[in-house]
Order: sequence, then structure tokens, then C-alpha cells
Amino acid sequence: MYFFVGKVLPYITVAILLGGITWRVWRWTIGRIKFNITIPPFPSSWPAAVLWIVWQIVSFWNVFKFDRPLWFGAWPMHVALAAIGGGHVLGVYTLGMQFHLLLPWLVTEHQSEAASNFLGTVFGIIFFVALLYLLYRRLAIEKVRVISATSDYLHLLLLLAIVGIGDYMRLVKTASLHYDEARHFMAGLFTFNPHPLPDNFFFFLHFLFVQIMLLIFPFSKLMHPFGILWNRWIINRPYQQPPMGMPGTKITL
Amino acid sequence: MPKKVLSDGTEISQPNRAVDRLMKRLHVREVPDEEKPAMAVRWLDYYRKDRRSLTLAMEGCVKCGVCAEQCHAYLGTKDPNNIPAARADLMRRVYKRYFTVQGRLFGKLVGAVEMTMDVLEKWYSYYYQCSECRRCGHVCPFGIDTCEVTMAGREILWALGFVPELQGAASAMVFERGNQGGMTQAAIVDTHEFLTDEMEEERGFRIEFPVDKPNSDILYVPSSADYLLNAETLKGAAQFFEYVGANWTISSYMLEAGNFGLLTDQRSVQRELVRRLWWSVADLGIKKVVFGECGHGWRAWKMYTETLTDYAVAGPGYTYTKVPLVNIHQEVVALLKAGKLKLDPKNNRLAPVGTYVTLHDPCNYVRADQLGDVFRYVLYNSVPAVREMYPIKEKNFCCGGGSAILYDDPEMYNLRIKFFQKKADQVRASGANHICTPCSICKAQFYPMVKEHNLTTEDGKTIMPVNGLIDFLGAALVFKGHRQI
Repeated sequence: MYFFVGKVLPYITVAILLGGITWRVWRWTIGRIKFNITIPPFPSSWPAAVLWIVWQIVSFWNVFKFDRPLWFGAWPMHVALAAIGGGHVLGVYTLGMQFHLLLPWLVTEHQSEAASNFLGTVFGIIFFVALLYLLYRRLAIEKVRVISATSDYLHLLLLLAIVGIGDYMRLVKTASLHYDEARHFMAGLFTFNPHPLPDNFFFFLHFLFVQIMLLIFPFSKLMHPFGILWNRWIINRPYQQPPMGMPGTKITL
Repeated sequence: MPKKVLSDGTEISQPNRAVDRLMKRLHVREVPDEEKPAMAVRWLDYYRKDRRSLTLAMEGCVKCGVCAEQCHAYLGTKDPNNIPAARADLMRRVYKRYFTVQGRLFGKLVGAVEMTMDVLEKWYSYYYQCSECRRCGHVCPFGIDTCEVTMAGREILWALGFVPELQGAASAMVFERGNQGGMTQAAIVDTHEFLTDEMEEERGFRIEFPVDKPNSDILYVPSSADYLLNAETLKGAAQFFEYVGANWTISSYMLEAGNFGLLTDQRSVQRELVRRLWWSVADLGIKKVVFGECGHGWRAWKMYTETLTDYAVAGPGYTYTKVPLVNIHQEVVALLKAGKLKLDPKNNRLAPVGTYVTLHDPCNYVRADQLGDVFRYVLYNSVPAVREMYPIKEKNFCCGGGSAILYDDPEMYNLRIKFFQKKADQVRASGANHICTPCSICKAQFYPMVKEHNLTTEDGKTIMPVNGLIDFLGAALVFKGHRQI
């Protein structure tokens, strides 16, 4: 089992993830954008339209405007996800030295590792609490419960499991895994010379669940970061009004 | 129509179905019941490959629920199937079952269901309860336009033989006479004469309506409902064109700003109107087309004309004169801002002093083209006082009649009353005593609904009057020493 999850499954996961995303996006491009069915605001140029799309993505503006309680769950959850995603890559690759490497005259190596640990813990907890709130919301609010399928709950539970284990490893010293062990293992995977999984059951579970998530990613609603781009590409487009002024009238503009 | 009972015992309301003769005139074949589900899946496959907007609506939703509280249909009926996400889910579940990996592998777990007659009957009920106002599309964080789902659902139903009597009859009239009201040229001319007489009494001089006049510069395309319900709007437009001294005309061959094809059958009915438009433009030597008051109509002309002007008009070997399409409000505002129109809001026949007008923004005007400010510019200059309802502009709620779900049978009529609930609350809170809405369908919904919801003026007895925007403009225009032409 350790052999399969640690040395074989990661390659299958990445292949299916990338292949699946490509396939899904290819499906989206079969149909044409037949009509210019835009929705306000009507920007006058492409840069303005793109700016609006980016603003919607970074701020969750529509959620903020039309469903404030959801925004307080969803936005911190996604920010924490982005921070943790970035933290995993940078923290593991630089062994927690990312802030020192970025601002060497300001942050010492020791401070950088402490900051990395601190931010990881804080965002991990925000992530977990926000997910719990989203799960509660899906169960407790009638209008959201009636539109939910079983898979909607399972997605949340899977994420909760991943984050829960991650937080446990952060908070409980005996369960934790040091950066260099993780880096050693990941380096093996990236160089196609896989090393055995670190001897840590929690890491094994964490790693397994993440792979399950990545496996179902292209075949579920988790594809929504791509969906928002393709959707808004249809409805946020520039529009130029035809010139005003009627021909042949006595009173003209 | 009595309520339809599904196989699990639930009852749903549906609009009346078109009779056989009507369907034949529309060239719609009623598919036998046992073949309908399989045929529907084939049509769904066709539309998902045809329209990216539909595929993305099917695959992009995360069920966050933001849209629920934003839909007047759900707020009015509290029917969970009227939550935009759930309404789209009626189609999405079938889509998942047949066209996605997860739906084929896991079925119920991801909410996928087989296509059955029950599903189609539900579609016929709920896709004709959606008014295609696109408020859900406007609020959706992902920008999913649920209207596209309703449209595709209705088109699939149309192809299977689920044709509502109202839309079917209106569409048949489009093929026969070029307008949904069934107006003949004689009826049009007669109405014009009557209105000309009326304006003579009011103004003291005659304003003629030119019909089918060759070598005209401007083609005014009113909504045919103006002839049946909103005569003041026609008068308003005529006074405006007279004031600016336009060389204008109305075509009896193409007398429909509204466009039921957009709402039910884009492939044939909507295309017919586009063809008729370019026919009239070529025939009468038109240089600019000005559309009258019709919300979804303006969306259809603004967004769909280019694509639907296809093989028979602009295909290889064919040519047509492309002229600008605008709507009357934009032209009015351009002239107003240039200071070329003299208005007297204090001396408005339709809105005497003491009238507080509230403006209902038609969904398609504000969410397909941001005309909220344009309307307000005209209104504030034409009437003595305005009291806004909230929310307004592109955040406005639909009146509940959008996409012509103006059914008269008791079941659907009851639903219409519920759909209007949110609007009635808004109007009441505004403290106005006169309603302005520049859209034929909104007017057709408002006329009976102000009575059903007992929206009265201050005295508590008089039912609030409803008018279009151009009505007020026409009545407020100050003519000096006319006639001009």
C-alpha cells in the first residue's frame, strides 16, 4: 500500500489530472459563442472587461454584494487555500526559507521558518473553520440543502479530511513531518526516482486524500476555477453602442 | 389547464398546450410519448455542442445558492424548483447522466437521473415559470446565465411538440402577418387614424402615421401589443418623430419589436422576424431602424440579429443593406442631452402635478443593455415628480411576466400573481401613485396585477395607472407653431 500510494499513484494522478482538465476544457470549446449575450457592466474595451473578470475572481464581488454570510465563509476559505497551496510549494522547496530568500536584509533564516510555521498554522485553521461553516450552511439553510447532491457534501468532507490531517500534523509535534523529509520525498517523485514515503501515517493519509481529490478534480464541480474563466469569457465582453443621431430629421444632434 | 399529475403523485401547473392545427402551421411534429425521452436526449446533445453558454451552464455550477434569494419566482412561490440553480438542475441532472463521466459512473451520488416523461413534464412546467429575466445570471459569481438553460429547455420542448398555446399562436401570427398580435395592414391604418384624431383633440393639429412609405429614412418598429393595449406609447412615438421632423414610417410587413422566437424557438420563429426586418429595410430604403418599447425584443435585436442574419439574407451569393439598429429611448436621450427637445414636466397630460411616478426597469433593457440611466434621464425631464422603488437598474426584480408567460388559465394566472409579489412590495414601498414601465410585456403583466395586488393611489380606491416611458415624453413635448413637415 505504501509502495503504491508513494511511488505509483502520484504518476497516475498527475496524468489523469492534466489529461482530464484538457479533455474537459476541450469539451467546452466545441460549442460556439453564438450570440453576444453579455451581462452588465458593459465595458467598452477588452482590457476593461478582463479587469472586471479579474476583480470578480479575486474579490468574489458578486457573493459579497448578494450573499454576505456566504462571502465570510467562501472568500477566507479560498484565500487560505491559495496561501496554503503557495506555502506548500515554496515552504517545502526552500525548507521554510522563502521569506529569507525574498527579503534577505530584513528576515533571518530562523525568522523565516518561524513565519512559515505560523502562517501555515493560521491559514490551516482558517481553512478548516471556513470549510466547517460551508458544510454547516449546506446542511442548515433550506434553500441550499435542496439544491445539494450527495457529492456536494462529499467534496466538503474530503477537503475537511485533508485540512484536518494537515492541521493535526501542524499542531501535534509527534505527528509532524519536517520540511526536509517532505522535500526529499517530493524530489524523488519529480526526478522519476521515487523514494519511499516518510514513515508517518498522517502524512500517508494526507498524501492519499490529496491524490483522491486531484483524481476527481477534472470530473466534478471542483473544476470551477476553470469554469469561471470560460463562463465570464462569454458574458463579460466589450460592447460599443451604435452612434446616435437619426438621418433626415429637421432637428439634428 | 388542470394540474398535471406526475407518476410519483406530485402536481404541477403547466400552460395550455397548442392544438394540432396550430402545431401543423408552425411545422412542429408532435413526437409520440414513448419516443420523447430519447429524442429529448438527442436534442440536448445537439444544443450542448451548438452553444458554449449551455455547456458551461451545465458544467460550471457549484450550487452555492446565491441565486435563490435573487429570483422573484422563488421569492413569490417558495417552490424549490424555482431556485435558479434547481431549475437548471432539472436539465443538469439529465445532462450529467448522459454526457459526463461522473454521472455515468456514479449516477445518484452526483445527482444524475434518467430522462423520463416526468422530467419533460417538469421542464414544461418550470421552464415556463422562468421569465428569463437574467437576474440570476447577473448575481452568479461564475457568470452562469441560467436563461440559456431555460431557452434551450423550451426549444427542446418545442421540437418535441410541447408548444404552449399562447406562444404558439403568437408565433404562427409572425409567419402569417409579421406581428404577434395578428394585425393586418387595414387594422394598422385604422388604429393610426383613430390615434391621429385623438391627438388632434389633444394638441389641435394632426400628426399622421406614415405606413409602408417608400424612401423613408427611419423605420419605427413598435411592439404590436402597442396597437392592442398601449396606444399612448404609439402616440408618444408619433409626437416625438413629428417634433424632430423625421422622414419615418411604420412597416405593416414587419410590425414587431417583440420577438417570441427568442423565448421559444430561435431556429425558425426568430429567424423569420430577422428576415422580415431586412426585407423591410431593403423595400423601404431605410437608413436606420428605431425599435419601440419592448424589453426582450431589444435584447433579441441587439444581441441576436447579427448571428441570425445568415444564409438566406447574408449567405454566399446574397447581400443586404446593414443599417444601425437602435431603440427609441437612446435617440430621445441623445437629443435631450443636446438640448434639442423642449419638455414641460409640469404640464403633462398623463401626469398632472401631484403625480408621483415610479419606474420599473424592464429586465432586458437593464441587464442586456444598461439603459437604467437613460430611462431616468427621460422620466425626470418629463414628469413632475419621481419616487424610485428599490432595488433599481440592473439589480431590479422582474415583474413576473417576462418571456411572455402571460397565461390566462387559472393555474398559471395564480402563479403570475405570486411572481408579482416582490414587485408589488417594491411599488408599495416607493410611495408612488403612477407606474412607468417601458416594455410591452411588463405593461401586459402590470395592467391586471395592479388590480390583483390592489395597488392603489393615496385615496385607497383608485387603481394605479400604468404607462410607458415614451407616453410621458410625448405628452410633455412642447410644440411651437406646428406643423413642421
